[in-house]
Amino acid sequence: MKRGVKSIAAVLILSTSIVACSKSSTTTVLPITAVTVKDIPADTVTGLSAQGMPITNGKYTFYSLEKNALVANTDSASTKWDIAFMSTRILTNGGTSGVGQGGAFVYTGLFDDLKTIPTDSVFKTDNAPTSYAITTGSGNGWYTYDQLTSLITPLAGRVLVIKTASGKYAKMEITCYYKGGVTLPASATDMEKLTKQRYYTFRFAYQPNGTKTF
Amino acid sequence: MKKVIAYLLILTPISLFSQLRMVKDTLEMQGDSVVVTANRSERKLSNVTVPVQIVNAKQIQQTGSLRLTDILKEQPGLTITSGFGAGVQLQGLNPDYTIILINGEPLVGRTAGVLDLNRIALGNIKKIEIVKGPSSSLYGSEAMAGVINIITDATNAIPLQASLRYGTYQTMDAGINNAIATKSIFYQGFYNYYSTDGYSIRPNSSSRVTTPIQRFTVNQQIKLNLTDNTNLAFGVRATDEQIKNDISVSNGGTTITSNGQEHNTDQNYNASLNHRFSNKLKTSFRGYFTEYNSKQDLVTVSGAPYYDLLNHNFQRFENQTDWNVNKRINLLFGAGTVLEGVKSTRYDSEKVRKTNSIQYGFSQMEWSPMTKLILIAGIRFDKNEAYASAFSPKISTLYKINAKQKIKFSIGQGFKAPDFRQIYLDFTNAAAGGYSVFGTAQAQQVIGQLSSLGQIGALYDNYYQLKALKPEYSTGMHFSWDYEPTDKSFLSVQLFRNDISNLIQVQQVGAYITGAQIFSYLNIGRAFTQGIELEMKQKIANHLMLSGGYQYLETGDKDQIAQIKAGKVYTRDANGYSRLLTLSDYVGLPNNSKHKAQLKVNYYNTNGVFANFRILYRGKWAVNNTNGNEVFDNGDEFAKGYISLHTSVGKDYSNGVSFQLGCDNITNYIDPSNLPNLPGRTFFVNIKYQLLKK
Repeated sequence: MKRGVKSIAAVLILSTSIVACSKSSTTTVLPITAVTVKDIPADTVTGLSAQGMPITNGKYTFYSLEKNALVANTDSASTKWDIAFMSTRILTNGGTSGVGQGGAFVYTGLFDDLKTIPTDSVFKTDNAPTSYAITTGSGNGWYTYDQLTSLITPLAGRVLVIKTASGKYAKMEITCYYKGGVTLPASATDMEKLTKQRYYTFRFAYQPNGTKTF
Repeated sequence: MKKVIAYLLILTPISLFSQLRMVKDTLEMQGDSVVVTANRSERKLSNVTVPVQIVNAKQIQQTGSLRLTDILKEQPGLTITSGFGAGVQLQGLNPDYTIILINGEPLVGRTAGVLDLNRIALGNIKKIEIVKGPSSSLYGSEAMAGVINIITDATNAIPLQASLRYGTYQTMDAGINNAIATKSIFYQGFYNYYSTDGYSIRPNSSSRVTTPIQRFTVNQQIKLNLTDNTNLAFGVRATDEQIKNDISVSNGGTTITSNGQEHNTDQNYNASLNHRFSNKLKTSFRGYFTEYNSKQDLVTVSGAPYYDLLNHNFQRFENQTDWNVNKRINLLFGAGTVLEGVKSTRYDSEKVRKTNSIQYGFSQMEWSPMTKLILIAGIRFDKNEAYASAFSPKISTLYKINAKQKIKFSIGQGFKAPDFRQIYLDFTNAAAGGYSVFGTAQAQQVIGQLSSLGQIGALYDNYYQLKALKPEYSTGMHFSWDYEPTDKSFLSVQLFRNDISNLIQVQQVGAYITGAQIFSYLNIGRAFTQGIELEMKQKIANHLMLSGGYQYLETGDKDQIAQIKAGKVYTRDANGYSRLLTLSDYVGLPNNSKHKAQLKVNYYNTNGVFANFRILYRGKWAVNNTNGNEVFDNGDEFAKGYISLHTSVGKDYSNGVSFQLGCDNITNYIDPSNLPNLPGRTFFVNIKYQLLKK
């Protein structure tokens, strides 16, 4: 589970050189480097109320896949962000969530195997509060919630295929929901499970040229 | 001398302790005791066609076992589970699938399918018979993995027997047993008191894993021999259990304490009229009523009270007729009717009892075309009001190759009826995100109503597939080879396979507008368990016996295996990235250990000195799905395999006094998360007095 955090400078080295594909000399692909992002907070728990309820600030964390950077909350009504996180919910910048062209769908398969977004794929948009492009709920979208252990585990073999605010494409795989990129053991204390959750670790690949090929 | 021989016989773990029929005074390894559970009729163990394990009173006493859990965990192939009380897993099947009988009558009152075996005191038990494999052809629902029948003594006069035991965690057990037997009357009275302070194996925790408990058990049996051929028997058994459960929850420095009180009672009444028309024909009418009541009160110092009630009653009337047609053929017929009902705060109303009635009939034919061969065919039909009917056939055979070897084969179908909770549950957990579970009887109706109120956010395809539940079925096969090369050695090799279909599983069928999940039950799962069991006994010296057992177990969910084969299941690699799961990564059903073993040394001499040393091993087992694929594989969280060591020494004095010292879990192995029922090292001392017959 251990991964190095790459600096923004390092991850922005999206190769611009065009390399001939070995299969065919007529098509070309852009090799897109997958980038790993660690510990993106998503409305984390800061404490407990007198009634024992978790205290959070109730705000989304906005993120730009194009720039691989956090976006300020004040820019929520702009096309500067592509995805936003709050606990297990992930928004895309479109539909009821934002002013962009964003949308998404959940692809079942392996990150590396998704080389081209299938032509018949349907990008859904957010329609709060009834439906979201990235389906909410345990076992429906990207995670499962275990009632016994109170732990959230990202589903293996799920790729979030995202249309960014500006209509470009990206794929992402969430690998962990806990601080430090390691899911807590079942034996962790309730307090630990509350305060160390809501930290996303994921890898993504962003295709800046507007094609559906990675 | 007679006493000595009796004691020596005790050394054979499967030995006789049955006075139902006198057994020849030899030191046969297997001891040809009488078994009643396998055929619902008394049969010599050597003529039983299905796998049976017998635990006798002496074994219980010498291990220092107090509750049923204590002794079952030392038996080959059985695993004690924790969660909703201590249940027993047999041939890899969950506690839901093993029926627990006392003198042939079922115990009720299961929580989440588990019947807490700590409810059963062992003080007046003559023996425990464990039949492995589907036995629904004789016992109906729940006898899918097997049957555990606890048999109390009903023939022997016991002038007076008193015992007192004290051990770690202020665990106290006191019992009195007394029986009179004359030609016309038999009476037995048993009283037991058990209490423990409980313990906490989690460091710095004020709440206890095992909470302070007080249990009182009383058992009275009376049998009147009306004529030489007719008797009338009555029995009453009652247990009362008080559990104090104080829970402290720490929330960021402030501790909230709740005072909990749990009160469970279990009552069993039975009456039977038994008549022997001739040596060839006998019949028995049995009536039985049992009620289990469980009440939990939890009062939080600053919060709202919590109250939980479960009341389950069960009444049955049946007749069984045994006809010994001739030397080669035995027939058995039976029929009965059951009325049962459950009230629970977790159903729509705790005031309304949910009921089910069952009518059933069964028959079995035992045919011995030659002395070496026995063939048995049996069938049972259960007609239910609340769910679909079930048909349970079984055939089994025994072939004695020679005086030293025999083989057995059986194949049968078992079933487990949907339980009341799966039909009637109406439960919303406000504390854990507001998810709801609805039983199938009202799921569609309740969800429909919620939907019309605009509270439902999503309904899944399987919501529309909800319908009356069918029983879960299994087909079990068993083959065994028993070998007694000398009168000092015994070896048994057993192979088994169970195929289960129609498994009832909790499935999400929809979601509230808030995203909280809505669950119900569907008959969808298919699973299997298969394995090998080895049992051996070796008399090393005159006073020394070595016995051991080993079980290899494989389990699997057939639908998951199909998904894996189709390349639709993923797991994560060391970097946390997804990859395809291969079949070799798959570990099957959770909570099942692939390997289990036990080795016991028993010493006994003619001066009444006894000592034993038992080594129990349980291999690792999957406990939590941690890598996000909803199947259990090598990348998930496992409980570590462990070894526990137990010993006990004692002496039976010739004046009727027995003295015993023991230590359980000598190495102090603990695993608070996965083995909450295993305390650390404990000691006990036990004194027993038996008024000797003049």
